[in-house]
Amino acid sequence: MIKRTLQYGFIISIGFPVVFLLVLSLGRRWAYPNILPEQISFANWEFLQQSDSKLFQAFFVSLGISLCVAVFVTALGFVISKFIAYSQRRNTFLVLAYIPYLLSPVIMAIIFQYYFIITGLTGTFLGVIIAQFLVAFPFGIIIYLNFWNAQLKSMEELSYTLGGSRWQTYKKVLLPLSKNALMLCFFQVFLISWFEYGLTNLIGSGKIRTLTVSVFNFVTEANIFYAALACFLLILPPMLLLYINKRFILFVEKTEL
Amino acid sequence: MSQFLTIQHLYKTFGKETVLQDINLTLDKNTVLSLLGSSGSGKTTLLKIIAGIETADKGNIFLEGNNISDQKPQERHIVYLYQEALLFPHLNAFENIAFGLRLQKMNESLITEKVHLMLKNIEMTKHAKKMPPQLSGGQKQRISFGRAMIIEPKLLLLDEPFGALDASTRSKMQELFKTLAHNMNLSALFVTHDLKEAIVMGDQIGKIQKGQLVQYETKNEFFNDAFSGVQKEIDFWKSIGQNT
Repeated sequence: MIKRTLQYGFIISIGFPVVFLLVLSLGRRWAYPNILPEQISFANWEFLQQSDSKLFQAFFVSLGISLCVAVFVTALGFVISKFIAYSQRRNTFLVLAYIPYLLSPVIMAIIFQYYFIITGLTGTFLGVIIAQFLVAFPFGIIIYLNFWNAQLKSMEELSYTLGGSRWQTYKKVLLPLSKNALMLCFFQVFLISWFEYGLTNLIGSGKIRTLTVSVFNFVTEANIFYAALACFLLILPPMLLLYINKRFILFVEKTEL
Repeated sequence: MSQFLTIQHLYKTFGKETVLQDINLTLDKNTVLSLLGSSGSGKTTLLKIIAGIETADKGNIFLEGNNISDQKPQERHIVYLYQEALLFPHLNAFENIAFGLRLQKMNESLITEKVHLMLKNIEMTKHAKKMPPQLSGGQKQRISFGRAMIIEPKLLLLDEPFGALDASTRSKMQELFKTLAHNMNLSALFVTHDLKEAIVMGDQIGKIQKGQLVQYETKNEFFNDAFSGVQKEIDFWKSIGQNT
């Protein structure tokens, strides 16, 4: 009973803001004390698409950047973290991995900017991806470091003595055992990239308009209906990832029994 | 009997600590050599070097006359078994045993046939579908043996495989291993810190202490060596007998 109440509480706490933002983005003439808006229409949606803000294009730009950053960090972080975890200088690398978070991504962006201007990457899609990758990659390393342990190393060595090549060992032992770590890294890095504002704004220099940048613009304009629409689009992918992640983890737990 | 495994002048240091010092060892085909040694004596390092998952600083290893010192572990046909069963947690008992055969991309029907035969040999047929957490310590160790032996390795290296088992299960596993070793003509190095187990399991006995190895020609030579600990053990049991 308590478990079910908590589950419903969790669903409502997540579902309510989504529904509220959706209604706010569709509503017109919603004045106090009405519980619901007097009119529901897609006018805000249509206006934003026709205007210069191109909200849906921003949505897909954000999606493209976040997916690229998440995929690269998840894949490269997996391989490189293994070498770091088993290295004698593991702790030194771990300290280095925390530097972007001690300095904050915006400071990192200011440091990067000079090099990005020289290489012509400022204001480009690729430039934003590289900048976000440089900040998110150490985070991926931190996530993976605890995954590599003595038992996993022994299993890897066992696979070699049973005749497995490096590739076979990755495919048949390490990757199946790391499903949860991979999902966690992908999910976390996607979120970091998706909600990234300062670094994206600086390196994108106004030419790369991601959804997060658009939301901040609407909020500063004090346009709550447009901001609600942008926020609604902003929280959709994380919600979807949360749902997939939960289903996947539950599925893994069931099959392990 | 032909000399199957030969180790010559093997050295290994970790930092300033010398773990193995001028190790020389020979093993005949189809025999089991028990290596007796306390914790930190270097026996695990020696097995890992033979398996190819650790490198020696100096020395040579010959298997069937071929120098395998620089070969990758995958090419040596030597399986190293840890104290823990280390079953792959995402595979059931059947798939754990089939693992090595699948790496060889063997025909599916042949895999099924071989795995069922191995399950029968290790008396685990009814547990084939179980996942590792559903198996007891002894059952896991049986599956681990099955997984190693099904690929018919040239040499089996066992690093205190029964160390984590209770006395009764340990005794059963010793019997099972002896039967399998005999039936499958296994050549093996069996590491243990238990004197009785070393005597029971090995056709020959060696003792490793502070990185140096003494290999006894016969079991009698081992029994008669004042430093083997056998006489001490005998005296202890005699004193128990006299006091009761």
